[in-house]
Amino acid sequence: MASGQWPVKTKVCLGLLPGPLAYEELFPKVELGVERKQSLSNRKPKTENRKPSTQKSEKGLNWLLLRGLGIVLGSLFFYAGLQKHYHAYEFAEAVLAYRLGPIWLAGVAAAVLPWVELTAGGLLIAGFKRRSSLLLLSLLIASFLVVMGVTMARGLKIDCGCGLFFQAQVGPLAILQDAVLLAWAGGLYWWELRAGAVASSQ
Amino acid sequence: MQIRRFLWQDLTWAFFLLVLAVGFGLVKQWGLVSLAFQGDLADHLAKMREQRREQQFQGVKTLNLAQAYELFQEGRTLFIDARKDEEYAELHIAAAVNLPLEKLKDKDNPALANIAKERRIVVYCGEANCDLALKVAEKLQAAGFTRVEAYLGGFRAWDEAGYPVDTSK
Repeated sequence: MASGQWPVKTKVCLGLLPGPLAYEELFPKVELGVERKQSLSNRKPKTENRKPSTQKSEKGLNWLLLRGLGIVLGSLFFYAGLQKHYHAYEFAEAVLAYRLGPIWLAGVAAAVLPWVELTAGGLLIAGFKRRSSLLLLSLLIASFLVVMGVTMARGLKIDCGCGLFFQAQVGPLAILQDAVLLAWAGGLYWWELRAGAVASSQ
Repeated sequence: MQIRRFLWQDLTWAFFLLVLAVGFGLVKQWGLVSLAFQGDLADHLAKMREQRREQQFQGVKTLNLAQAYELFQEGRTLFIDARKDEEYAELHIAAAVNLPLEKLKDKDNPALANIAKERRIVVYCGEANCDLALKVAEKLQAAGFTRVEAYLGGFRAWDEAGYPVDTSK
């Protein structure tokens, strides 16, 4: 076969024709019909079609996780509050043992603290004013931590009055337990705060 | 900016919830609160504790600080510290032996085997409101020791009175 008779494709492959020209010849512009153009412009990219559902499921998962963690934390504090409320005098004894401030203050604290736990825990379980409840619990735990730190520094070996399922002494373990609870409540609060800010800005 | 606004709202609501909880607490536990304001809370708690102990530990004889110190001065009574090892090691009544409740679960405990059954024993724990001394005394009675008593003032009262103490450190 003579070289003059070779089809264009073959010429390009052999390097007999320059690139740009070959490209034009190889892929000539095809004029699309009006209907085809419209259908193409109406078609959404596949990623756009997939995105909302993925986002939705991610949001749903986050919401479930947030609610689940909130309910568990709320239940723990609600249970602790109930225990202290029904054994108020035993709790007053535990508060008195800290020897912080006058006796009347210990009595008021023993009466009030269980109700702070009950209110915040109950609202967290119910899902009403979750952020404020988490904030209240965080402040409560943070003050417990300060009190326990001071008690440890004073060298008092007393029952902390904070054990959920069994008695615990003021010491590193009780402090660790409260630190975990503080991280839990504080982390959840920050998460919910950011989620709320993002949702309101959209 | 949005976060700051939310934070402010949350703080306001948290304060409102706190006020609500304080109100509920004061109303629902008014008996406790009024006792505290009258200055009778400590006495009331001591009475309640005494009544509870009388019911819970019926067979255990008890001693106060003065009685325990008298026995200590006689020098024939064995003092048993019912607190945890580390608390005992830090400071304890002079010549006292450490015997926490957990160690009593082992019936063949060598510490018990060396004590004569008819020896006079005084058990104590850390505070006036701890029940450990009574629990250990009850267990010792069940193990066959005939002259066991519980000193209820706790190590703190002993230490504060300036009576002889020792350390294992």
